[in-house]
Amino acid sequence: MKENMKEIEETMRLSIFEVFEKMFYIFLEPQDDESNDYDMAAAIKFDGFLSGEIRLLLSMDMAKAMIQNMLGLEKDEITTQKMEDCSKEAVNMICGNFLGKFDSTKVFKLTIPSFSMETASIDPGKNACRMDFESDEGSVGVIFDANRRV
Amino acid sequence: MSFNVLIVDDSNTMRAVIKKVISISGFKMDQCIEAGNGKKALDVLTDNWVDVIISDINMPEMNGFELLKKLKEDDLLKNIPVILISTESSNERMQDAFDMGAKGFIKKPFTPEAVKKILYEVIGVSDEGEYEGDRGDDEAFDF
Repeated sequence: MKENMKEIEETMRLSIFEVFEKMFYIFLEPQDDESNDYDMAAAIKFDGFLSGEIRLLLSMDMAKAMIQNMLGLEKDEITTQKMEDCSKEAVNMICGNFLGKFDSTKVFKLTIPSFSMETASIDPGKNACRMDFESDEGSVGVIFDANRRV
Repeated sequence: MSFNVLIVDDSNTMRAVIKKVISISGFKMDQCIEAGNGKKALDVLTDNWVDVIISDINMPEMNGFELLKKLKEDDLLKNIPVILISTESSNERMQDAFDMGAKGFIKKPFTPEAVKKILYEVIGVSDEGEYEGDRGDDEAFDF
Protein backbone atom coordinates (compact mmCIF):
# COMPACT_ATOMS: atom_id res chain seq x y z
CA MET A 1 0.00 0.00 0.00
CA LYS A 2 1.45 3.32 -1.04
CA GLU A 3 0.79 5.89 1.67
CA ASN A 4 2.55 8.84 0.23
CA MET A 5 0.88 11.18 -2.30
CA LYS A 6 4.17 11.67 -4.15
CA GLU A 7 4.48 7.93 -4.55
CA ILE A 8 0.90 7.76 -5.80
CA GLU A 9 1.68 10.46 -8.37
CA GLU A 10 4.80 8.60 -9.44
CA THR A 11 2.82 5.36 -9.80
CA MET A 12 0.25 7.20 -11.91
CA ARG A 13 2.99 8.71 -14.08
CA LEU A 14 4.55 5.28 -14.66
CA SER A 15 1.15 3.84 -15.55
CA ILE A 16 0.54 6.61 -18.11
CA PHE A 17 4.00 6.14 -19.68
CA GLU A 18 3.54 2.37 -19.88
CA VAL A 19 0.15 2.60 -21.61
CA PHE A 20 1.32 5.20 -24.14
CA GLU A 21 4.55 3.38 -24.92
CA LYS A 22 3.18 -0.16 -25.15
CA MET A 23 -0.13 0.51 -26.86
CA PHE A 24 0.44 3.70 -28.85
CA TYR A 25 4.24 3.76 -29.34
CA ILE A 26 4.27 7.35 -28.04
CA PHE A 27 6.93 8.61 -25.62
CA LEU A 28 5.67 11.41 -23.38
CA GLU A 29 7.64 14.20 -21.72
CA PRO A 30 6.24 15.66 -18.48
CA GLN A 31 5.51 19.41 -18.63
CA ASP A 32 5.81 21.79 -15.70
CA ASP A 33 3.29 24.26 -17.12
CA GLU A 34 -0.38 23.41 -17.35
CA SER A 35 -1.71 23.35 -20.90
CA ASN A 36 -5.27 24.05 -22.04
CA ASP A 37 -4.61 22.83 -25.55
CA TYR A 38 -7.04 19.93 -25.34
CA ASP A 39 -9.90 18.98 -27.65
CA MET A 40 -11.49 15.95 -25.99
CA ALA A 41 -11.73 14.12 -22.69
CA ALA A 42 -12.39 10.55 -21.56
CA ALA A 43 -13.14 9.70 -17.94
CA ILE A 44 -13.50 6.61 -15.77
CA LYS A 45 -14.57 6.19 -12.14
CA PHE A 46 -13.25 3.49 -9.83
CA ASP A 47 -14.48 2.26 -6.50
CA GLY A 48 -12.98 0.11 -3.78
CA PHE A 49 -10.42 0.59 -1.06
CA LEU A 50 -9.59 3.79 -2.96
CA SER A 51 -12.29 5.51 -4.99
CA GLY A 52 -12.21 8.37 -7.44
CA GLU A 53 -11.99 9.41 -11.06
CA ILE A 54 -9.34 9.66 -13.78
CA ARG A 55 -9.83 12.14 -16.64
CA LEU A 56 -7.69 11.89 -19.76
CA LEU A 57 -7.40 15.04 -21.87
CA LEU A 58 -6.12 14.83 -25.44
CA SER A 59 -5.32 17.27 -28.21
CA MET A 60 -6.77 16.39 -31.63
CA ASP A 61 -3.29 15.67 -33.04
CA MET A 62 -2.49 13.34 -30.17
CA ALA A 63 -5.78 11.39 -30.53
CA LYS A 64 -5.13 10.97 -34.26
CA ALA A 65 -1.55 9.82 -33.68
CA MET A 66 -2.71 7.28 -31.07
CA ILE A 67 -5.16 5.72 -33.55
CA GLN A 68 -2.67 5.76 -36.40
CA ASN A 69 0.01 4.09 -34.30
CA MET A 70 -2.28 1.58 -32.65
CA LEU A 71 -4.19 0.46 -35.74
CA GLY A 72 -1.80 1.37 -38.53
CA LEU A 73 -4.45 3.55 -40.22
CA GLU A 74 -4.01 6.46 -42.62
CA LYS A 75 -5.13 9.96 -41.54
CA ASP A 76 -8.22 9.91 -43.77
CA GLU A 77 -9.39 6.65 -42.17
CA ILE A 78 -9.70 8.25 -38.71
CA THR A 79 -13.26 8.88 -37.54
CA THR A 80 -14.72 10.53 -34.44
CA GLN A 81 -15.99 7.11 -33.35
CA LYS A 82 -12.46 5.71 -33.50
CA MET A 83 -11.15 8.68 -31.48
CA GLU A 84 -13.84 8.04 -28.87
CA ASP A 85 -13.09 4.30 -28.72
CA CYS A 86 -9.36 4.92 -28.49
CA SER A 87 -9.64 7.59 -25.76
CA LYS A 88 -11.97 5.42 -23.65
CA GLU A 89 -9.67 2.43 -24.02
CA ALA A 90 -6.66 4.54 -23.04
CA VAL A 91 -8.25 5.89 -19.85
CA ASN A 92 -9.48 2.38 -18.99
CA MET A 93 -5.96 0.99 -19.35
CA ILE A 94 -4.37 3.84 -17.38
CA CYS A 95 -6.85 3.29 -14.54
CA GLY A 96 -6.46 -0.52 -14.46
CA ASN A 97 -2.70 -0.28 -14.74
CA PHE A 98 -2.49 2.31 -11.96
CA LEU A 99 -4.74 0.37 -9.56
CA GLY A 100 -2.80 -2.86 -10.20
CA LYS A 101 0.46 -1.11 -9.38
CA PHE A 102 -1.09 0.75 -6.44
CA ASP A 103 -2.28 -2.40 -4.68
CA SER A 104 -2.60 -5.69 -6.56
CA THR A 105 -4.19 -7.43 -3.56
CA LYS A 106 -7.35 -5.28 -3.77
CA VAL A 107 -10.27 -5.58 -6.18
CA PHE A 108 -11.66 -2.35 -7.65
CA LYS A 109 -14.88 -1.77 -9.56
CA LEU A 110 -14.42 0.30 -12.73
CA THR A 111 -17.23 2.07 -14.59
CA ILE A 112 -17.63 2.01 -18.37
CA PRO A 113 -15.57 5.04 -19.56
CA SER A 114 -17.34 8.19 -20.80
CA PHE A 115 -16.21 10.53 -23.60
CA SER A 116 -16.74 14.17 -24.53
CA MET A 117 -15.50 16.31 -27.42
CA GLU A 118 -15.20 19.28 -25.09
CA THR A 119 -12.98 20.02 -22.13
CA ALA A 120 -14.82 23.04 -20.71
CA SER A 121 -14.84 21.74 -17.15
CA ILE A 122 -11.12 21.17 -16.96
CA ASP A 123 -10.94 22.42 -13.35
CA PRO A 124 -9.31 19.55 -11.46
CA GLY A 125 -10.87 20.33 -8.08
CA LYS A 126 -9.27 20.96 -4.71
CA ASN A 127 -7.84 17.52 -3.94
CA ALA A 128 -7.07 16.41 -7.47
CA CYS A 129 -3.68 15.96 -8.98
CA ARG A 130 -3.05 17.17 -12.51
CA MET A 131 -0.28 16.13 -14.89
CA ASP A 132 0.50 17.51 -18.34
CA PHE A 133 2.65 15.80 -20.98
CA GLU A 134 3.90 16.58 -24.45
CA SER A 135 5.38 14.64 -27.32
CA ASP A 136 6.03 15.33 -31.00
CA GLU A 137 2.50 14.04 -31.64
CA GLY A 138 0.59 16.45 -29.34
CA SER A 139 -0.55 17.04 -25.75
CA VAL A 140 -1.88 14.75 -23.02
CA GLY A 141 -3.30 15.77 -19.65
CA VAL A 142 -4.40 13.57 -16.78
CA ILE A 143 -6.50 14.67 -13.82
CA PHE A 144 -6.60 12.21 -10.96
CA ASP A 145 -9.01 12.65 -8.08
CA ALA A 146 -9.11 10.00 -5.38
CA ASN A 147 -10.31 9.48 -1.83
CA ARG A 148 -9.22 6.66 0.39
CA ARG A 149 -11.92 4.65 2.16
CA VAL A 150 -11.40 4.35 5.90
CA MET B 1 -1.19 -25.83 -38.56
CA SER B 2 -3.14 -22.58 -38.17
CA PHE B 3 -5.89 -21.74 -35.72
CA ASN B 4 -9.30 -20.11 -35.66
CA VAL B 5 -9.51 -17.34 -33.07
CA LEU B 6 -12.63 -15.70 -31.59
CA ILE B 7 -12.04 -12.19 -30.19
CA VAL B 8 -14.73 -10.91 -27.81
CA ASP B 9 -14.61 -7.23 -26.84
CA ASP B 10 -17.20 -4.44 -26.84
CA SER B 11 -14.71 -2.00 -28.37
CA ASN B 12 -14.28 -2.22 -32.16
CA THR B 13 -10.90 -0.57 -31.78
CA MET B 14 -9.66 -3.04 -29.20
CA ARG B 15 -10.82 -5.99 -31.32
CA ALA B 16 -8.88 -4.53 -34.25
CA VAL B 17 -5.82 -4.03 -32.03
CA ILE B 18 -5.89 -7.58 -30.68
CA LYS B 19 -6.27 -8.92 -34.23
CA LYS B 20 -3.36 -6.79 -35.42
CA VAL B 21 -1.17 -7.79 -32.47
CA ILE B 22 -1.85 -11.50 -33.10
CA SER B 23 -0.87 -11.05 -36.75
CA ILE B 24 2.31 -9.14 -35.85
CA SER B 25 3.24 -11.75 -33.26
CA GLY B 26 3.66 -14.43 -35.92
CA PHE B 27 0.96 -16.66 -34.45
CA LYS B 28 -0.54 -18.78 -37.22
CA MET B 29 -4.12 -17.55 -37.40
CA ASP B 30 -6.53 -18.94 -39.97
CA GLN B 31 -9.95 -17.38 -39.34
CA CYS B 32 -10.44 -14.46 -36.97
CA ILE B 33 -14.03 -14.08 -35.81
CA GLU B 34 -15.21 -11.14 -33.70
CA ALA B 35 -18.06 -10.62 -31.23
CA GLY B 36 -19.10 -7.52 -29.24
CA ASN B 37 -20.00 -9.31 -25.99
CA GLY B 38 -20.42 -12.75 -24.42
CA LYS B 39 -23.94 -13.25 -25.74
CA LYS B 40 -22.87 -12.51 -29.30
CA ALA B 41 -19.89 -14.84 -28.85
CA LEU B 42 -22.23 -17.71 -27.94
CA ASP B 43 -24.29 -16.96 -31.08
CA VAL B 44 -21.12 -17.04 -33.18
CA LEU B 45 -20.15 -20.40 -31.67
CA THR B 46 -23.38 -22.06 -32.82
CA ASP B 47 -22.15 -21.79 -36.43
CA ASN B 48 -18.36 -21.67 -36.15
CA TRP B 49 -15.64 -23.80 -34.63
CA VAL B 50 -12.79 -21.94 -32.97
CA ASP B 51 -9.55 -23.18 -31.42
CA VAL B 52 -9.21 -20.42 -28.85
CA ILE B 53 -11.28 -17.55 -27.43
CA ILE B 54 -9.74 -14.26 -26.32
CA SER B 55 -12.29 -12.32 -24.28
CA ASP B 56 -12.47 -9.01 -22.44
CA ILE B 57 -13.99 -9.12 -18.93
CA ASN B 58 -15.99 -5.89 -18.68
CA MET B 59 -18.63 -5.90 -21.41
CA PRO B 60 -22.30 -4.96 -21.51
CA GLU B 61 -25.03 -7.66 -21.77
CA MET B 62 -22.77 -10.62 -20.96
CA ASN B 63 -19.29 -10.13 -19.48
CA GLY B 64 -16.25 -12.37 -19.81
CA PHE B 65 -16.87 -14.30 -16.58
CA GLU B 66 -20.49 -15.01 -17.55
CA LEU B 67 -19.32 -16.17 -20.97
CA LEU B 68 -16.79 -18.49 -19.34
CA LYS B 69 -19.51 -19.98 -17.09
CA LYS B 70 -21.84 -20.59 -20.07
CA LEU B 71 -19.03 -22.26 -22.02
CA LYS B 72 -18.20 -24.59 -19.12
CA GLU B 73 -21.88 -25.66 -18.94
CA ASP B 74 -21.89 -26.69 -22.60
CA ASP B 75 -20.47 -30.17 -23.37
CA LEU B 76 -19.50 -29.15 -26.89
CA LEU B 77 -17.81 -25.88 -25.99
CA LYS B 78 -16.36 -26.53 -22.53
CA ASN B 79 -12.95 -27.60 -23.81
CA ILE B 80 -12.27 -24.53 -25.98
CA PRO B 81 -9.44 -22.68 -24.21
CA VAL B 82 -10.37 -19.18 -23.07
CA ILE B 83 -7.88 -16.37 -22.49
CA LEU B 84 -9.25 -13.40 -20.58
CA ILE B 85 -7.85 -9.99 -21.40
CA SER B 86 -8.40 -7.07 -19.10
CA THR B 87 -7.07 -3.88 -17.56
CA GLU B 88 -7.93 -5.37 -14.17
CA SER B 89 -4.91 -7.05 -12.71
CA SER B 90 -5.64 -7.73 -9.06
CA ASN B 91 -4.39 -11.13 -7.88
CA GLU B 92 -7.90 -12.00 -6.70
CA ARG B 93 -9.49 -11.18 -10.06
CA MET B 94 -6.88 -13.26 -11.90
CA GLN B 95 -7.38 -16.18 -9.52
CA ASP B 96 -11.17 -15.93 -10.04
CA ALA B 97 -10.55 -16.22 -13.78
CA PHE B 98 -8.40 -19.35 -13.42
CA ASP B 99 -10.80 -20.90 -10.88
CA MET B 100 -13.61 -20.48 -13.40
CA GLY B 101 -11.60 -22.33 -16.04
CA ALA B 102 -9.72 -19.62 -17.95
CA LYS B 103 -6.47 -20.96 -19.40
CA GLY B 104 -4.67 -17.64 -19.65
CA PHE B 105 -4.82 -14.01 -18.63
CA ILE B 106 -3.47 -11.08 -20.64
CA LYS B 107 -3.08 -7.78 -18.87
CA LYS B 108 -3.65 -4.54 -20.79
CA PRO B 109 -1.46 -2.79 -21.89
CA PHE B 110 0.18 -5.70 -23.68
CA THR B 111 2.97 -6.30 -26.17
CA PRO B 112 2.69 -8.60 -29.22
CA GLU B 113 5.31 -10.87 -27.56
CA ALA B 114 3.19 -11.27 -24.42
CA VAL B 115 0.10 -12.15 -26.46
CA LYS B 116 2.04 -14.66 -28.56
CA LYS B 117 3.60 -16.29 -25.47
CA ILE B 118 0.24 -16.83 -23.78
CA LEU B 119 -1.44 -18.02 -26.99
CA TYR B 120 1.38 -20.53 -27.56
CA GLU B 121 1.22 -21.76 -23.96
CA VAL B 122 -2.56 -22.15 -24.00
CA ILE B 123 -2.80 -23.87 -27.39
CA GLY B 124 0.27 -26.03 -26.85
CA VAL B 125 2.71 -24.62 -29.39
CA SER B 126 6.43 -24.69 -28.66
CA ASP B 127 8.63 -21.57 -28.90
CA GLU B 128 9.69 -22.82 -32.34
CA GLY B 129 6.08 -22.71 -33.47
CA GLU B 130 5.63 -26.50 -33.41
CA TYR B 131 2.14 -27.63 -32.41
CA GLU B 132 2.28 -30.54 -29.98
CA GLY B 133 -0.82 -32.07 -31.60
CA ASP B 134 1.21 -32.41 -34.84
CA ARG B 135 4.00 -34.30 -33.12
CA GLY B 136 3.74 -38.07 -33.56
CA ASP B 137 4.61 -40.54 -30.84
CA ASP B 138 8.15 -41.32 -31.98
CA GLU B 139 8.38 -44.46 -29.85
CA ALA B 140 5.39 -45.99 -31.61
CA PHE B 141 7.40 -46.08 -34.85
CA ASP B 142 10.71 -47.08 -33.35
CA PHE B 143 11.32 -50.54 -34.77
